[in-house]
Amino acid sequence: MARIGVFICHCGENIAGVVDVDAVTQAAARLPGVAHAEHYRYMCSDPGQKLLIEAIKDKHLTGVVVAACSPTMHEMTFRAAAVEGGLNPYLSEMSNIREQCSWVHEDKVAATVKATDLVRLMVEKVKRNHALQPITVPVTKRALVIGGGIAGIQTALDLANGGHEVILVEREPSIGGHMAQLSETFPTLDCSQCILTPRMVQVSRHPNITLLTYSEVEEISGYVGNFKVKIRRKPRYVIEDKCTNCGDCAVVCPQVVPNEFDGGLSWRRAIYIPFPQAVPAVYTLDEESCLGLHPLVCEKCFQACDAEAVDLDMKPEIVEADVGAIVVATGYDLFAAQQARELGWGKFPDVVTGLEFERLLSASGPTSGEVRRPSDGRVPKEVVFIQCVGSRDPEQGVPYCSKICCMYTAKHAMLYKHKVPDGQAYVFYMDIRAGGKGYEEFVNRAVEEDRVLYVRGRVSRIFQENGKLNVWGADTLTGQAVEIAADLVVLATAMVANTGHDVLAQQLRAIVDEHGFYQEAHPKLRPVETLTAGLYLAGAVQAPKDIPETVAQASAAASKVQALFSRDELEREPVVAHVDELTCEGCFDCEKVCPYGAIERKEIRDREGNLLRLVSSVNEGLCEGCGACVVACRNHSIELEGFADDQIYGEIVALWPTTVGLPELVDW
Amino acid sequence: MPDESWQPQIVAFVCQWCTYAGADLAGTSRMKYAPNVRIVKLPCSGRIDPLFLVKAFEQGADGVLVSGCHPGNCHYVSGNLLARRRFTVFRELLSFLGLERERLQFSWVSAAEAVKWTEVVDAVTEEIRRLGPRKLGWGETLPSRGSRFQVASSKVEPETRNPKPKTLQAAEESIRRIARQLLEANAVDVVVGYGNGTLSGVTTPVFVTQPDGVEQLVWNERCLNNLSVYLTRDLVKRMGRVGIVAKGCDAKALVALLQETQINRDQLTIIGVPCEGMMQNGRLAVKCVTCDVHTPPIYDHLVKVGVGIEILEIGESGEADPRDAEIAALEALTHQERWAYWQEQFSRCIRCYACRAVCPLCYCDTCIVEQTQPQWIPPAFDAKGNLSWNIVRALHLAGRCIGCDECTRACPANIRLDLINRKLALLISDEYGYRSGYDAGVAPPLTTFRPEDRAEFIR
Ligand SMILES: Cc1cc2nc3c(=O)[nH]c(=O)nc-3n(C[C@H](O)[C@H](O)[C@H](O)COP(=O)(O)OP(=O)(O)OC[C@H]3O[C@@H](n4cnc5c(N)ncnc54)[C@H](O)[C@@H]3O)c2cc1C
Ligand code: SF4
Repeated sequence: MARIGVFICHCGENIAGVVDVDAVTQAAARLPGVAHAEHYRYMCSDPGQKLLIEAIKDKHLTGVVVAACSPTMHEMTFRAAAVEGGLNPYLSEMSNIREQCSWVHEDKVAATVKATDLVRLMVEKVKRNHALQPITVPVTKRALVIGGGIAGIQTALDLANGGHEVILVEREPSIGGHMAQLSETFPTLDCSQCILTPRMVQVSRHPNITLLTYSEVEEISGYVGNFKVKIRRKPRYVIEDKCTNCGDCAVVCPQVVPNEFDGGLSWRRAIYIPFPQAVPAVYTLDEESCLGLHPLVCEKCFQACDAEAVDLDMKPEIVEADVGAIVVATGYDLFAAQQARELGWGKFPDVVTGLEFERLLSASGPTSGEVRRPSDGRVPKEVVFIQCVGSRDPEQGVPYCSKICCMYTAKHAMLYKHKVPDGQAYVFYMDIRAGGKGYEEFVNRAVEEDRVLYVRGRVSRIFQENGKLNVWGADTLTGQAVEIAADLVVLATAMVANTGHDVLAQQLRAIVDEHGFYQEAHPKLRPVETLTAGLYLAGAVQAPKDIPETVAQASAAASKVQALFSRDELEREPVVAHVDELTCEGCFDCEKVCPYGAIERKEIRDREGNLLRLVSSVNEGLCEGCGACVVACRNHSIELEGFADDQIYGEIVALWPTTVGLPELVDW
Repeated sequence: MPDESWQPQIVAFVCQWCTYAGADLAGTSRMKYAPNVRIVKLPCSGRIDPLFLVKAFEQGADGVLVSGCHPGNCHYVSGNLLARRRFTVFRELLSFLGLERERLQFSWVSAAEAVKWTEVVDAVTEEIRRLGPRKLGWGETLPSRGSRFQVASSKVEPETRNPKPKTLQAAEESIRRIARQLLEANAVDVVVGYGNGTLSGVTTPVFVTQPDGVEQLVWNERCLNNLSVYLTRDLVKRMGRVGIVAKGCDAKALVALLQETQINRDQLTIIGVPCEGMMQNGRLAVKCVTCDVHTPPIYDHLVKVGVGIEILEIGESGEADPRDAEIAALEALTHQERWAYWQEQFSRCIRCYACRAVCPLCYCDTCIVEQTQPQWIPPAFDAKGNLSWNIVRALHLAGRCIGCDECTRACPANIRLDLINRKLALLISDEYGYRSGYDAGVAPPLTTFRPEDRAEFIR
């Protein structure tokens, strides 16, 4: 006989203010199989949990239902309390009468009826719950970090310094990400390369780090502690160990193409090194720009290389590895500036993006750090900076604030003034968002010390006239139209999600938000974890971030992984599928629908060893507990623990008629 | 006028990663919405069994909502994409049986879409409120109205093709010769074929184990049955290696059984017989009108039929199936009328399970309908049980049925199971370009998906 205990939480006034907890308790007490029902102000508090623990012991309860907040909040709490009371944790269930009832309904009667229904439903479920034992799995203490921007670099170094093996996968020929392209960084104006390069070198030298550049993750399977990954190494046609970085190959290469590292403001050869400090410091032959490899057309680089590092027959290679945790640090992309048509990027050479301007400012950039405009190489005397290009613009761009552009625009204006003291900088802005240590002061410095002219308003049009860019805008503070004849215009384009995300996210089984950024497990309490166990986030992959925030999150992700790696074995939720071999007909539809390849074919033999039939069998290590197989099975020979058919059946039949045991509220 | 005070009772089956989390977020954000929905949480929309919905309606739900992650965002990679196909079929089936479409709703709601969740709940509640309470219980029909909506049976008189006695005789001789050779060479242990029945006008299956027994084998215009049903029966399995006489349509069942690893190709010898059509009650059988497998899609030995028979290749037959007009007529009715039509049909069901017994693809030893823990399908032959049983039968054959019509012929209550089967087969062919029984190498349509599968009905 079931003896269920029901505990209704007031959550202060959060629940009790709307739901008549007394009525729900009375109704619960009358349900068949309920041996105990009570309500309390805060079930999650110590005294609340004590009530539950005592009741389990005193009333010999066989299961408990806590009607309170969402199970996402406190399922673990009450499972632990149940264990303290002597129950198996899986005999504790929660009814969500806060997030899904009291907080969303105003009609008190309707909310009370609903709460009663939800409690009844869970009572019926928990009656059918079984004691489950956690599954233990080993932990492979090696991490995969995807993306070698500052986020990935930081995570990899932290983990490697902590003594763990790390595989760092970067899509481009060099690590460094966007930070490598920056000139100086706010709010301290220290040189980006100067602080980044040492870390890049550390990565390449660290004995615990395997660096795979020019590579992408091709396939991921498995689960926390036991992922299997396949990484595809694109052929770079240069043997990394042999390349001496002499550059003889590039000199002879006849193919000249725009250098993407400089935003197309400079040129490179088909065989190239993206920037002098690149790590690894080796050349890469970019197949698409090459005159032709299949069949071979020119071969000049091959002949020029004394080190015999050029290998024009190089094939893609698949590297397989077992890892216990994965950190995604694939960063961000920039809003395509040509979409803001009125601003003329792509049409007028002297309208550049912020990132292109970083290259113009950079000592290693196409102008060796002198600010010269792309069209005629003159030093611009009037420069207009436009903020929020694509940001906070639901129509043309994205609705959110990109968070960093106010800051880097102030930086740009300042650096420009430092280089061209007699020039004038104008900034069009919507508001200034400078929350951060030393940030407000930084913007103030731009205005006060460097005399940057801030104009609050939007730019409506830019057109070219007599070698100048006419910028038309409005100053919303004075209500006047503003017209500036500028030499150079810099657009602070929005930070958007990295375009490759969809495919990778699907492979990783991660959820992305409406904008394509990876979704964290909880916006406040679990900002570096995802809902997929063993998968963590670092940097701008999760949301727009500046470098300090990126690094903080990267270190946080590393410490989460280290916590995971501090154990030799992991306990997994026993929510897995099981096959009834007696009734399984061996149609293997389950095998076809299982996304994890968890279904195996098992031979049933008689005593003489003759094969009688084949049946399905679930590999518990691989099963993630989605239950797709259960539905595919026509005669229900597969059951999913925790969400078994009879549990769901119990819930469904408990739903009607509604308001059983609540006669006083029947006519709602 | 709908009663203003009436409150629809709706159950929502949702996945825990997206919709459940989205509903939580609506709570955290203190958004308000209609209090009519009760959530049942599942790990994934792929875990939501149509049986849950059937049960909920049987229990009295006014409406059901199914909600999961957006395509591409499934926590379990593809559960929602499988669900999308399954519920496309389920929704069409229930609508065909006369349930108003508004009562069965679907949405994708992500963990971030709290606003969407409140909008979905409000909209669904409102639509069902406008519709009003379900006037009839699950499987119930108005006694007086039941027969009013009889769909006129096909007016199309299938032509009476005259099978050529000569070719039939040639085929019979050829079948016997092949069977004898197989048995003599000990290539098979038993040959399953047609023999003369005790009643004139019907044939009966015979199981020939000795070369001399091949004289029992006959071939005539009455060899209508699909013998492949015997291949999954224990009695036959125990006999060892089987040779089977199969027409084109029968061979389609063999293909489907191979797809589901129910038969071992190495242990099976198929004696394929080209066929011009079989007779039923003095007419060409309906399935033969549109037959496009006059030659079996798979065989080991092809029977020689002599001269004068035209053998069509696999492909469109060019003929119209007379049942398509009946399906169209049914679909032209209102939901209420359709409901009445089908409930009247199902009310005649005596739960003899003859349909199941003759179906070559109903091979489970323990059928879902006999399971008691839990008992998803009420065993009694009453309105509720009959409707639920017939829904589940249809669903279990969706994407698998090869259209042999054995069930319809076996049904002592003359329930038009063939219309339901064909309706779903047409749907699946339209939506997923799949026809059962032609290719053992592809996955059945409800065990797979394409990212671009359509499902405009999902909010
Ligand atoms: C114009 C501009 C100026 C800025 N100035 C400053 C500043 O002054 N101070 C400051 O604090 N911040 C500044 N920022 C912000 C700074 O760029 C970011 O905070 C930082 O780069 C985020 O680092 P990340 O590693 O998360 O991403 P990223 O730098 O984008 O790195 C991501 C890396 O992952 C790789 N990758 C992507 N997809 C894959 C894949 N599928 N597989 C493998 N690898 C992949 C990329 O190639 C890249 O190397 C500025 C940004 C801009 C646009
Ligand atoms: S529940 Fe079934 S489908 Fe899902 S992972 Fe486990 S075995 Fe595969």
